[in-house]
Amino acid sequence: MAGICCGVVGEGDTPAPLEPTTRPSRRRSLDILPLKYIADMAVPPSDGSRKRPKLDLRDRDNVVQNCDESTGHKVVKKEAKVEIHDNISETKNVTVADASEVEDSPKFGVTSVCGRRRDMEDSVSVRPSFTQGFHYFGVFDGHGCSHVATMCKERLHEIVNEEIDSARENLEWKLTMENGFARMDDEVNRRSQSNQTFTCRCELQTPHCDAVGSTAVVAIVTPDKLVVSNCGDSRAVLCRKGVAIPLSSDHKPDRPDELLRVQSKGGRVIYWDGPRVLGVLAMSRAIGDNYLKPYVISEPEVTVTERTEEDECLILASDGLWDVVSNETACGVVRMCLKAQKPPSPPGSPGSDVAADGSDRACSDASILLTKLALARHSSDNVSVVVVDLRRDQRQSSNSN
Amino acid sequence: MLLLQHQQTHIYIAPEIFFYYKFKLIIIMPSSLHFDRFNPITHAATTVAIANGVNCPKQPQAPPSSTAARRLVVPSLSSGRGIAAPDTVALHHAHVVDPNQCCSIVTQHINAPVSAVWAVVRRFDNPQGYKNFVRSCHVITGDGIRVGAVREVRVVSGLPAETSTERLEILDDERHVISFSMVGGDHRLRNYQSVTTLHANGNGTLVIESYVVDVPQGNTKEETCVFVDTIVRCNLQSLAQIAENRTNNCEHTAQHC
Repeated sequence: MAGICCGVVGEGDTPAPLEPTTRPSRRRSLDILPLKYIADMAVPPSDGSRKRPKLDLRDRDNVVQNCDESTGHKVVKKEAKVEIHDNISETKNVTVADASEVEDSPKFGVTSVCGRRRDMEDSVSVRPSFTQGFHYFGVFDGHGCSHVATMCKERLHEIVNEEIDSARENLEWKLTMENGFARMDDEVNRRSQSNQTFTCRCELQTPHCDAVGSTAVVAIVTPDKLVVSNCGDSRAVLCRKGVAIPLSSDHKPDRPDELLRVQSKGGRVIYWDGPRVLGVLAMSRAIGDNYLKPYVISEPEVTVTERTEEDECLILASDGLWDVVSNETACGVVRMCLKAQKPPSPPGSPGSDVAADGSDRACSDASILLTKLALARHSSDNVSVVVVDLRRDQRQSSNSN
Repeated sequence: MLLLQHQQTHIYIAPEIFFYYKFKLIIIMPSSLHFDRFNPITHAATTVAIANGVNCPKQPQAPPSSTAARRLVVPSLSSGRGIAAPDTVALHHAHVVDPNQCCSIVTQHINAPVSAVWAVVRRFDNPQGYKNFVRSCHVITGDGIRVGAVREVRVVSGLPAETSTERLEILDDERHVISFSMVGGDHRLRNYQSVTTLHANGNGTLVIESYVVDVPQGNTKEETCVFVDTIVRCNLQSLAQIAENRTNNCEHTAQHC
């Protein structure tokens, strides 16, 4: 795996090394992880205005972006092992409802790592064919503790499935997803009021967890549509013919419409190590966080995008990635991995790249590479990445076999 | 807001006496770092009139001179709650506030007896028993839990803080008073000191928590109070749920016996 990653990085028709950014840093020990990175496309200048880096909680300078030319094989190899383990543990949770559906499921890759934070509070949920012809991908970035993100991972797809079934005749995606998120939020808050146990520190300390929450970015892939529902500051990005198209908008407290909404409810946004609702929470929407209602709500923003032949991939990730990697850079990385992929072998033939659960080596490589890039750029958070292959010719090719 | 000026520069072992503007004598013992031990008052204090008003004291218009650099502030209780324990509020919740500081007070009524609430509040070694934002706590100095003990608190993720080093200033099991100050840590609350008192209120308990803290650079006094009040209020609401649940569980157990 590590060798393949290095090989993929090395290949490239027009290598353009990413310019290293030198910025003074007051970190005591500057842990530089050398990582060689070659992108097919240049980063557009508008990226600066769009990118809003997350401030360091300790009031330190922004993270240093440093990409050396040399590659530390030992470090890369070590990282690859850790990430492979995380990847395997995550994909084990995937349940394929029907074996015959595997061929129609999009190929995907998942990586979810603790990174430089002490605790792992991210969750990822992948449910191919979770309902007839629809595929579900979700990333949940918890804060305060992990159990809200864990509940979202285990329950939200079931709730959404029920909402879809009850609205089968005339399915309106915005209403369906809003109902699903509201029910998920109710379940979280109902559980925090009871004395049920969690498999986390809350069980040991205090059962009253009004101050725990999670982001939720969910993508439902249908044969002709991409439905993205977002609540919080995780993000979904579509790569279409080399162009990065954001399918979600981060719910930061200083986003003008979010700022107005919080203020209209009687709350306020205070700049305390960055803009925070009441100076406490760095996002304006989340599942849970009952103590900050009605300022922090669980209502998702829903986008419905028609699929086209030019669609290449879909990336869902937590802000551990997006705080240090731009949409365009992420799309470039994934595009490069997909391009390097060989044509798929016939099913069942020896050496097939397609895993039984629908995950794909190219997508896995892409998610691993994005995660390593985030860590190399000193992301200070958990990092969770889901890469979904949306190319149509793949399916046509597999159908013809 | 009731502002009292220091009349003497020396601090006696005996309770200090301050003059009210109408020359009424009031005995007040501020929570101060100067005192190593809590000195109980042997005589009941005269009733103190506590004016209702905003939680955050406004900065005096006059520029602070050397004599007015520090002032004694008794944060006001919200309307309707001042009746419960005005003497104790003035006694324990008077803070010495610098010009660059702010202070505030938060109250919470709990449907549980004082003994049940105090059993949770007094655990200086286990603040995560009711404080939502504490992930773990270790007492690093002090044999046993007594005045002078220092704990290292680790904060949960998502907050603008990582750790907090806190010293126990007051622990009075008779009068149900606990006080701690923040002496270090990775956060923006410098010179934070809080006092929590419990008061019988019918069959329930009135919890009063007041604090004083530096206003961080770049923020206003109002913003600082909004931030800290949110944390304190969340903790006290959690305390109410825990104490009430424990009381209910005890009652159920008693019925079964």
